[in-house]
Amino acid sequence: MTERPRPSGQRGVTLRRLLNIASAAALLVALYLVSTQGSVKLGQVFALFAVWGIATVSLNLINGVTGILSLGHHGFMLIGGYVTGLLMLPEAARENLRFSARNSLSDFAIGLSVERWMSALGLDALATPETIGVRFVIALLLGGLLAAVFGLVVGFPSLRLRGDYLAVVTFAFGEVIRLLASTPLLASYTNGALGFAGVPSGFGKSVWWTFGALAITVFVFARLKKGSYGRALQGIREDEIAAEAMGVNVAYHKVLAFVISAFFAGVAGGLWVSWVGTARLDLFLFSLTFYFLVAISVGGTGSITGALIGTALVVWVRQYGDPLEQAYPLATWAGAAGAVLVVAALLGYLYRRNRRMRPALHPLAVGAAAVGLVVAALSLFGVLDEALARRWQGFGMRAIALSVLLVVIMVFKPAGIMGRREFEWTWLLRDARDVPTEEERRQDAWLEAGAGATAPRPRGAEE
Amino acid sequence: MTTPAHAATPHGPSRRGAGLARRLAPWSAAAVVAALAVWRMLYLHGVNDNFNAAFFAGAVVRSLQLGSLYALIALGYTMVYGIIRLINFAHGEVFMVGAFAAYFLFSATPYPWPVAVLVAAVVAYGFLRFLGFFRVLGRPVVLAAASSCFVAVALALASVRLGWLGAMVASMFVTGVLGMAIDRVAYKPLRGAPRNSMLITAIAVSFFLQNFGLLAFSNRQTPFRPQSFFTGQLTFPVAGETVFTTWMVVLVPAVTLVLVLVLTTLVTRTRLGRAMRATSQDAETARMMGVDVDRVISSTFLLGSMLAAAAAVMWGMSFGSINQPAIFGVLPGIKAFAAAVIGGIGSLPGAVIGGVLLGFLENFLTALFPRVGSFSGITEYKDTFAFLAMILILLLRPSGIVGEDLSEKV
Repeated sequence: MTERPRPSGQRGVTLRRLLNIASAAALLVALYLVSTQGSVKLGQVFALFAVWGIATVSLNLINGVTGILSLGHHGFMLIGGYVTGLLMLPEAARENLRFSARNSLSDFAIGLSVERWMSALGLDALATPETIGVRFVIALLLGGLLAAVFGLVVGFPSLRLRGDYLAVVTFAFGEVIRLLASTPLLASYTNGALGFAGVPSGFGKSVWWTFGALAITVFVFARLKKGSYGRALQGIREDEIAAEAMGVNVAYHKVLAFVISAFFAGVAGGLWVSWVGTARLDLFLFSLTFYFLVAISVGGTGSITGALIGTALVVWVRQYGDPLEQAYPLATWAGAAGAVLVVAALLGYLYRRNRRMRPALHPLAVGAAAVGLVVAALSLFGVLDEALARRWQGFGMRAIALSVLLVVIMVFKPAGIMGRREFEWTWLLRDARDVPTEEERRQDAWLEAGAGATAPRPRGAEE
Repeated sequence: MTTPAHAATPHGPSRRGAGLARRLAPWSAAAVVAALAVWRMLYLHGVNDNFNAAFFAGAVVRSLQLGSLYALIALGYTMVYGIIRLINFAHGEVFMVGAFAAYFLFSATPYPWPVAVLVAAVVAYGFLRFLGFFRVLGRPVVLAAASSCFVAVALALASVRLGWLGAMVASMFVTGVLGMAIDRVAYKPLRGAPRNSMLITAIAVSFFLQNFGLLAFSNRQTPFRPQSFFTGQLTFPVAGETVFTTWMVVLVPAVTLVLVLVLTTLVTRTRLGRAMRATSQDAETARMMGVDVDRVISSTFLLGSMLAAAAAVMWGMSFGSINQPAIFGVLPGIKAFAAAVIGGIGSLPGAVIGGVLLGFLENFLTALFPRVGSFSGITEYKDTFAFLAMILILLLRPSGIVGEDLSEKV
């Protein structure tokens, strides 16, 4: 975080620095506790948060900061994941693949390995089991680089196309990458839809490693966003033609945004493959990009802290949403649906009344409540008892919950929780410091200039 | 976003003086492609006797069948895009719901009466909206028609097993109402919001419907074989050989033709059609001129979803099964979208042309490059053709084959 001079002199800066150090220390302690005391499940949640966080933050550079809707992130992750997986396969897994009857990996693909390159280059010291970390970093970087090359390919259409068309083209590129990976053309590297197992994961599963990568990613993207480069990207988001007129090389910046984003997506894919231990096509479905999109939209488009908050929410729903997907009697489901309907109708009523929208009771809410009441009445009189006793499995409930959440966010708070802002300590310390906030200063200036001269811009008006 | 989405500044050298060449270029490209295809056919014929005229005639009728299905779905994309400039990502899932609704309408009937009443209410509502378009019927007549429709459908659903035609029509209305509901709940609150928000919402709706399908219909392959004359075998002779196919290759293009004609009449000859064209030109002005824009948008969603449902029923009948709801609509949906883009999104003839072209592209490439000897064929790549064709078209001519050249406005 860059320091900006504050009217109160050094005090705020020191306080903020102290708080930064304290929170970093708290995070380290928390990670230590998770890695030593935490359950396996908790470790998984943290690792998944870190890996998906990297992907989300990198997607945020295109979607949030540059304002281009890109939907092909799962393709970049797939490339990085497969490259890292192939390069990291240990000798035993290679032998298994070589003799497995159903594998279609070519001898060349089976021969690919960072370990072998290292010994071929005379760096035998790096080809020992102790140096797996170094090799892992090299494999990740190579996976990221190949993904970045594809980012370059996908970035070029962004020069000719905008908006929806570009979104669809990026989506098509992502799907083409996924479809091609299962065809004979690339099956000698990807083993078709089966993929390959045995990627060393003890290393990738460590909380330290994944969070280290996340920390580097966040640092890089925070610097990018604050620097002149990020300002140019935000300029492109606001008005491309104006940015061009101000001397921003729009084409260069757009393509570079794709390249950087794809690189980090590839690294995230590599980390994920290494963490899961297998490289499979169904790890890289479009749903992945959808989850990142949910995270970005919920957290705040263009905000790194927002992306991380959103990721935490998505990972939480994904990892702890199991109860939603169990089998319950239909009566339980009907009851839950009724409760959700009633709460939603109530919220809708409050919202409309607060906004002074008439009529406050929306026909949809009334209809939903009526359906709920009819079902309740029918089951009360025993009409539906037999039908409602059947058990029903809630497959897909988590995804449904996330998509409903996304629609609600888009309809009621399109800017997300954080908007485009980043988290600042001043939000928590406003009372402790005697520095006026941005808004207070704006209002003071307005009062000094004479009330009514220019209306103060309401908070968040720029969003 | 202030910039218009149909972007792509036409640039490059001056085109003056190249009129004839420009007019001939598409035709010469088509001629080259046709010549290559014929050459490849002759080559295959020389290599292997199985690749005779009948083989390619079969490919032609199957292309037309698949292309008609793509065209029907593409019409939904193109209509919605034409009116509110939204790529309705959820249209593929509407297609999926159409297929599964039809399945439950003709395999699970007769229903218990509460279900029959509920479904009949949805069908009657769709029927009412559909009739309401013409404004030729007085209100009492419309009400009488809708209520008799309601009673008839409820009775039918509760007592008899629906045939494929009844299921198709009922599914069209159910799915049409779903399309309107999606617009009402998810898209209408976002009118005037940034385009990206609308697109993200559409993706969320698509994801919702996918997983709702998984929840409601479970993830399985569902046989979809109505006992019908149309699924029986059809043989016809070509150059002394016999082509074996089913009656669906006749039925699908025929039904598509009828539906497209109905739609064209609706758009060109009725008040609603005029309102739609006006709205697609300029929604604000249309509103000022007294057009009920919300109603027009709603009916667009109704019509597009109805066509998707018709395509879905015929898709199930053509291929004998409908598979996992979570993925069933994805590929047909995105391919049909590609077809709409290829033809020129926003244009009705464009959608039909693009759909048929895509059907031919997909079937003919796999017929021309089949598994021969050590060459494994390109069947496994056929899903990528649509994407690649769409990317190419978008980069070369973003307004599609019959679309106008749209230049950037500042």
